[in-house]
Amino acid sequence: MFPSNTALPASVAELRRESAFGAEDQVVALFDELRVPLLRYLAGFPLSPQDSEDAIQEAFLALFQLLHRGGASHPNLRGWLFRTSHNLALKKRAQARKDSPGAETTAEDHVVDPAPNPEAQFAFQQTQQRLQSVVRALPEQSRWCLYLRAEGLRYREIAEVLDISLGSVSLCLERALTNIARAAER
Amino acid sequence: MLPEESHLSDQELLLAVDGELAPRDQGRVESHLAACWTCRVRKQELETAIGEFVHFHEQSSSAMISPPDGPRALLKAQLARLAQTQPSPWRRFAKSQSPGRPGLALAATLLVMAAIGSFLVRDLARIRRAQYAAVTVPNPNLTPGATVLLSQSEVCMAPGPNNKAVPVALQRRVFDEYGLSAASPRAYEVDYLITPALGGADDIRNLWPQSYSATVWNAQVKDALEDHLRGLVCEGRLDLATAQRELATNWIEAYKKYFHTDRPLSR
Repeated sequence: MFPSNTALPASVAELRRESAFGAEDQVVALFDELRVPLLRYLAGFPLSPQDSEDAIQEAFLALFQLLHRGGASHPNLRGWLFRTSHNLALKKRAQARKDSPGAETTAEDHVVDPAPNPEAQFAFQQTQQRLQSVVRALPEQSRWCLYLRAEGLRYREIAEVLDISLGSVSLCLERALTNIARAAER
Repeated sequence: MLPEESHLSDQELLLAVDGELAPRDQGRVESHLAACWTCRVRKQELETAIGEFVHFHEQSSSAMISPPDGPRALLKAQLARLAQTQPSPWRRFAKSQSPGRPGLALAATLLVMAAIGSFLVRDLARIRRAQYAAVTVPNPNLTPGATVLLSQSEVCMAPGPNNKAVPVALQRRVFDEYGLSAASPRAYEVDYLITPALGGADDIRNLWPQSYSATVWNAQVKDALEDHLRGLVCEGRLDLATAQRELATNWIEAYKKYFHTDRPLSR
């Protein structure tokens, strides 16, 4: 098991070694640690909550199969899970668009307002709407970079997840944050 | 005030904020920030933008996160089901060694006996393997077929049905498994039982030496069946698991079934 105060296995090879006496438990422990960060990342697609959950389930099942199969060690386990979830989410989104065009439901449409009074609620809503429109207007790759960075991935990891160069990661993040900063000035 | 062109770019400021600057640039950027108020203010603006986004991100994604119990239970159930279909040696061993379970000595004895037995069984298997050398279907004990976890859409979105080349080292292991170490590799093609185009795994359990000397049920005929099955799967007329099972069970019978013929069709 990986208690929350201990480090996750860094690579698939490490996880495989730790899994020698119970791969299912190890995969479930990893799921407990990474499900929420993965869900928060997939919020940037956008994707319905159910499709996001499904994509993550499938990614962990794929990890389990990878442990059984042997072979590739995949040095960055967290990156591998983000990348696999990303790819599965892309497919689910394509399927959802095919099944019901224009009927995308995202979590962002159901933001819960935590503000204590009407003035604060109004200000909160204004900020959320402004940011929502800026983030939605970003090119897809910039949005993905931003969400991955928000989940604590370093530039090199983001580059691996999205299969782009380090320079592209840097450029995407710069553009995204410049747009957010510019919108805040208005 | 410093001239405009000497200011740091947003990209450099962001790299500094994120601790991603190359060591050689670190000192230069820090020195510049110490001297330049304009760049310090811009750096603060970018950090404020990061803070705003982080709050927005936490609020907007929180609606997406349901309690973990349901998804966790679902994953455990799916893993348990998957584990039953994919037994592995260490898993069986681990079960026999679980803490508090008696019979450790018995298990150790069984392991020693199994090790001795495996030498005997291997010799017998080699003799039996030789019988498969010239036939056109693989030995199900050596090549039961193995798959990777792919959905129908993943299989169909993958490019082309061409099988990738099997690494030479893996080919040698296949020849050894089938007791063909002394045979000329040119007489055989190491082929996938379940083609990767239908989710077949790059695994020795999914590889077998197909004889070039086979004149009727040969590799080209099997390729035709694989193309046909992939077409059916991608058109939604055949379940992916069924297609994999048909190939793994007996590809010649599958060919007869899906092409409605007892002989390979001429191509």
